[in-house]
Amino acid sequence: MSLPTVFLVDDHQLIRSGLKVELAGAVEVIGEADEVDAAVELIIERRPDVVLLDVHMPNGGGQRVLRESLEAGSTSKFLALSVSDAAEDVISIVRAGARGYVTKSVDRDQLIDAIHRVAGGDAVFSPRLAGFVLDAFARDDPAGLADLDPELDQLTAREREVLRHIARGYTYRDIARELGISVKTVESHVSSVLRKLQLANRHQLSNWASERRLS
Amino acid sequence: MGVSTTERIVIIRPEPRLGVPQRPLRRAQEGVVAGVCLGLAVRLGLRARTIQIFFVVASIAFGAGALLYAALWLLLVRSGETDSIVQRLTRRRAPANLVIIGLLAAMVLLVALHSLGAGWFGVTLVVAVTAIAGGALGVWGASHDERAHLRSVIEATPLSGALAVRGWRAVAWRVVPGIALLVVGMLISSHLGGLWSNVVPAFLGGAAVVGGVLLLLAPWWLQSALDLSKERRERVRIQERAAVAAHLHDSVLQTLTLIERVAEDPAQVRRIARTQERELRQWLYDPRAGAEMADSLAVALGGVVADVEADYQVRVELVVVGDAPMDDVAGALVSAAKEASVNAAKWSGADVVALFCEVDTTRISIFVRDAGRGFDLGAVPEDRHGIRSSICSRVESVGGTASVRSTPGEGTEVALSAERAGTKP
Repeated sequence: MSLPTVFLVDDHQLIRSGLKVELAGAVEVIGEADEVDAAVELIIERRPDVVLLDVHMPNGGGQRVLRESLEAGSTSKFLALSVSDAAEDVISIVRAGARGYVTKSVDRDQLIDAIHRVAGGDAVFSPRLAGFVLDAFARDDPAGLADLDPELDQLTAREREVLRHIARGYTYRDIARELGISVKTVESHVSSVLRKLQLANRHQLSNWASERRLS
Repeated sequence: MGVSTTERIVIIRPEPRLGVPQRPLRRAQEGVVAGVCLGLAVRLGLRARTIQIFFVVASIAFGAGALLYAALWLLLVRSGETDSIVQRLTRRRAPANLVIIGLLAAMVLLVALHSLGAGWFGVTLVVAVTAIAGGALGVWGASHDERAHLRSVIEATPLSGALAVRGWRAVAWRVVPGIALLVVGMLISSHLGGLWSNVVPAFLGGAAVVGGVLLLLAPWWLQSALDLSKERRERVRIQERAAVAAHLHDSVLQTLTLIERVAEDPAQVRRIARTQERELRQWLYDPRAGAEMADSLAVALGGVVADVEADYQVRVELVVVGDAPMDDVAGALVSAAKEASVNAAKWSGADVVALFCEVDTTRISIFVRDAGRGFDLGAVPEDRHGIRSSICSRVESVGGTASVRSTPGEGTEVALSAERAGTKP
């Protein structure tokens, strides 16, 4: 299997060069950009397998890169990479279409693993993102106002169990063994959570992050 | 003989400009006209308003206030400058300057003589002329800065301001009808005779006076109200900026300085950077920090992370789902979790310890996991202190359960769980 092609988007030169050094040999870095417009243009032109996307950048940040690339028909997968722990940043970039979210403190092996996973069509959740998702979906809707679609607006018991293990620091392989299922099944559970996260229209989810900030 | 030196890091914090100057400097920037009153007030420790009232009363009563004000304007040094206006003018040594100052001095002398009894001239006139001449000299001799300030004072005054900003024609449109209304109003009012027969003219007269005043002053009043709110917003913005700057200074700048000093010791650098990172994150992102939930489970676990990371070379990844107030149950779980984290940090050899806490309506569950070397549970003697007493017994004392799973070579996980207080039937 050939190495996945990766495009770096980050407005900090230091981070980009650090990433290039870390990723050398494990993936093929085919370009980089330090601002939104150039990023969108180059992503469409070079068709990388994976875009490593900084969440916080001037002029709309990672979200704009994501939106405009997807609108322009890009088929690249996006993996958000950020120093931010703010729930609204994490949730909104994933809802905008990122296939995963990892923090910049992630170590080399985990990052490479995450890139390969995203390139293969799977989702990547950091423990913190798993925690946020559990928190966001944990809320009941006592008044029944949100007109919940059980398919989209609730997690299955199994999905919850998988997310809990991610939050506890387990790798997919560990989770598979722990729950007595295959790694493929773990991956499909995570992808399904990602889909729900992106498509769920429950009121709580869209407002959850900002409410959390205010409360 | 070695001399031991203790290195200390001194960081000087930018202080706002405080303190009382030795001389009664004119505070021209903050003052109303030339800053004489404000300067005196600061020097004498009185309120500026008191001094201003004194000057106004003295001006009305004897004309002396205006005279004194003009003299002080010329003689006192403006704050931020080194020379008074008189010093500047005499130093230039232009004959015209010397003549003017001489004349001014002569007039002051005349006034002084008059007050001693040699009164053969109109003292009011001389006082007025002297004060006006002094003021004019002040404006003329003022520095570039001070002139700019005076111009803004003039522009902020109703009529002169309108003239300076908009020019004659625009002002005439407002002033001429305004004055006309005032005059008409006063004429009508002054011809009032009986009480009831003149109700209508009296009303008209009053209305005309009010209308005239409004017409003359409204734009100025609106403008100053607008300036005031703009100024207030600006002040709030500046205060916020100052708070952020102070925080960054206290924390980040301090840490960077520390890091520069211990650059040869990677472990130290990592520890310091990590501590700072955690503090900054908490300040930026954690809504719970400093809020009313200050004694919540999530905050207490944050404290555990801080303590463990400060003492050992590990990163603790904390994920909390839900939150609960601190009570006996939560307290026991937190201290057990801390013990477990310390064990993981000490013995596992892993760089990362995952700390996960989930709170639902009835239970609190905490998991402490590392992917380190692990150990054989059977090989640990029954009486080993750490796990038995610190972890298990603490949790069991509040009716909870603790379990440890470990596989050599793969890692260890401690699971703690207890029913929340007040949820038992």
